[in-house]
Amino acid sequence: MTAYLIRRILATIPLALGVVLVVTISFDLIPGDPAALMLGEFATPEAVAELRTSLGLDASLPVRYVNYVIDITQGDLGLSLRERRPVTDILVETFPYTFQLAFAAITLVLLVGLPLGLLAASRPGSWIDNVIRVTSLAGLSMPVFWTGIVFMVIFSVNLRWLPVSGTGTWRHLILPAVTLALPSIAVIARMTRSTVLEVLQEDFVRTARAKGVANRSLLYKHTLRNALIPVVTVLGLQLGQMLGGAVLTETVFAWPGVGRLTVFAIFNRDFVLMQGLVLVLAMLYVFVNLLVDLSYGLIDPRVRYQ
Amino acid sequence: MKTRFIPVLALVLALVMGAAFAQKTLTIVRPSDPVALDPQLETTAPGSWVYTQILEPLVSVNQDMEVVPRLATSWEFIDATRLRFTLREGVTFHDGTPFNADAVKYTWDRATNNDPPGRWRSLASAVEGVEVVDEYTVDMVAKAEFGPLLLTAAMPFTGIVSPAAVEALGSDAFTRAPVGTGPFKFVEWRANDRIILEANDDYWRGRPALDQVIFRTVPEEGARMLSLRTGEADMVLLPTPSDLPELEANPDFIVEGAPGVGIFYLAFNLDRPSVADVRVRQAVAHAIDRQLIVDAILEGGGVLAKSVIGEPVFGFKDMQLLERYPYDPERAVELLEEAGYTRGSDGFMRDADGNVLTLDALPSNGRSLKDREIAETLQEFLRQVGIAMNLDFFEWATTFTLMRGETLEYDLNSFTWFTTTADADYTMYSNYVSTELPPSSWNRWRYANADVDEWLKAARASLDPAERAELYGKVQDQLAVDLPAIPLYGSYEVAVLSADVTGFVAHPIQYILDLFPVDKE
Repeated sequence: MTAYLIRRILATIPLALGVVLVVTISFDLIPGDPAALMLGEFATPEAVAELRTSLGLDASLPVRYVNYVIDITQGDLGLSLRERRPVTDILVETFPYTFQLAFAAITLVLLVGLPLGLLAASRPGSWIDNVIRVTSLAGLSMPVFWTGIVFMVIFSVNLRWLPVSGTGTWRHLILPAVTLALPSIAVIARMTRSTVLEVLQEDFVRTARAKGVANRSLLYKHTLRNALIPVVTVLGLQLGQMLGGAVLTETVFAWPGVGRLTVFAIFNRDFVLMQGLVLVLAMLYVFVNLLVDLSYGLIDPRVRYQ
Repeated sequence: MKTRFIPVLALVLALVMGAAFAQKTLTIVRPSDPVALDPQLETTAPGSWVYTQILEPLVSVNQDMEVVPRLATSWEFIDATRLRFTLREGVTFHDGTPFNADAVKYTWDRATNNDPPGRWRSLASAVEGVEVVDEYTVDMVAKAEFGPLLLTAAMPFTGIVSPAAVEALGSDAFTRAPVGTGPFKFVEWRANDRIILEANDDYWRGRPALDQVIFRTVPEEGARMLSLRTGEADMVLLPTPSDLPELEANPDFIVEGAPGVGIFYLAFNLDRPSVADVRVRQAVAHAIDRQLIVDAILEGGGVLAKSVIGEPVFGFKDMQLLERYPYDPERAVELLEEAGYTRGSDGFMRDADGNVLTLDALPSNGRSLKDREIAETLQEFLRQVGIAMNLDFFEWATTFTLMRGETLEYDLNSFTWFTTTADADYTMYSNYVSTELPPSSWNRWRYANADVDEWLKAARASLDPAERAELYGKVQDQLAVDLPAIPLYGSYEVAVLSADVTGFVAHPIQYILDLFPVDKE
């Protein structure tokens, strides 16, 4: 187990080097000069050239990459080109908002999606199954910028229950979290339903049923556990996505998270900020997936980590 | 009983005290967060709206486009290269240090030294720097004779910073927590969420009526308007134009706007053979129904442009474009035929070799109000007269780089240009003098007219407003004939306020938001 953990953590190093390399190269390929953007409309070419030198943009791509890697081994993510302050400061400011939103949303997914899936699977073909299947399809198909605005109109403008947007109290978190969770709730409900139904076809279920195990215990004890592995895997992927890509939800609800920061970094060609962002996001993604893998051991005692 | 009583008492007390010490807070929502709160790094409106509350220039331009004293009490030209300011005495910065001539020099030197990289300094490149005469007198010195010196000093980016605060915080940290002499003091900035300012009790014009100003960042257009309706916001900047008629009719809201100093135009690249013939450019002008664009696409978010500079700008003259180039597709076709094109059976104009007249365009995209929709409409207008138009939409960083390239591989581009100083020189010199070519300057049309060069240079060197206005008038008449660019619409600076907000007057210069006289009932 310990050896497995160490191996998994060590495996993140080449991954980190890889994603940073991809960011470095892609910002080199796309047009747009960060120095020219910083200096604005009337800047002389001399001033831009001077700034490029002082920002270290003149160095060749391999040199920039190696320098950056040396810096990150010392815990230095560099200075944001556009904001002129440490990338670490910006990330420390932004990630808590993203964590709040992602964890609130994933909790909702777990508390709502999983039971809905189970409920549907327990009575396949019934009216309740049909309602759940159709509404979850609707949940999947509605874009968040539309559901977000509809929620605002209903809950903020008409009912006056919740604030329209922004941050500050737990009430500010509700609408964005629900909006972000909705498509994932649908995915998890459908996923749970289909895997549970699949497991219900298996021989051991038939045996258990023959042996006289009650329906309820059959569903929760015997089937759910076996159906959970694919569900948890998808849940992990969903969480990873929420951590990095909640741009639309953040934009609609004026939530100051990582998604909007990423868009800012791209539009301003702030590749130093982008490298830091991608690095942290990749690490988070790996960490979430590691947790998912470890949870397999809890769900299924046959799983061994070697 | 006792234990229950205490929370109730506390609640009542809190309510009473809350009412007694009710803070007058103005919450403003706008689409984007600034990059910094320092003109050194940030010269766009989302930044200047905030820092002009904190940092004050020596003089300012009011809503009637008059120069008014701020940190300077009076000024006089010593000669056409030297403008002397007498500074206000007894003013202190928010950190308690005194304002004086050294602070003015320090501010300009900081920008000149590019520490941090100074974005606005290039806008005032004609200015050599500031010289201290005595503790409350400074001279602003131009590199050569420069008539627009006073309006350059009035730019909202030239707010005076506290030298002590810059030294204490460090120049980079100062960009996120500025210290000046303005009516409001910086309190807190939560990135991408809100910026909080509070009243400066010791402000030299008196304490502002508002206790607190909160600038919130709400990127989504619909959400901005909704937060006004729920009372979460008191003022919306850059509101949705199509909402304005309904809001104007609603007694709960005030719509306050002013025609601005920005012009959105369609520009030709005269280096390209396809548009080098003035008849082709005239045909394009006749092919576009500019009034329709203003009415149907902008829906009140812009005004019909009368010149390449906005009406509030010093030196403006109506180019009479509607009279000269009325919407007339038939005339456009005639002009193209005169220029040697023949209309094929597919409706497209072809030259003698049979090539379709095709114009490649680099349109502004997501940068100005409805720019993408306008580009697509222009494509259709031009198709009607047989001109094919290719649109290359990119995001801003790419468009900007291409636009400022040494060579421009496009026949057309569109863009909003703001005359930031409200003086014609700012736009005309850099845009139309034949030697002001990209990448160092902005003559993207590669326009060259010896008369225009001479007039613009004379206007720049003169201190006589009447003479300058006449020269700019001549330039605009000439541009109406040569037509290197077709002005499409002028900016309209509009804010929507909750009806309990008083004292707000919209400013033609987009970068200025005058909150000092604002109060809330």
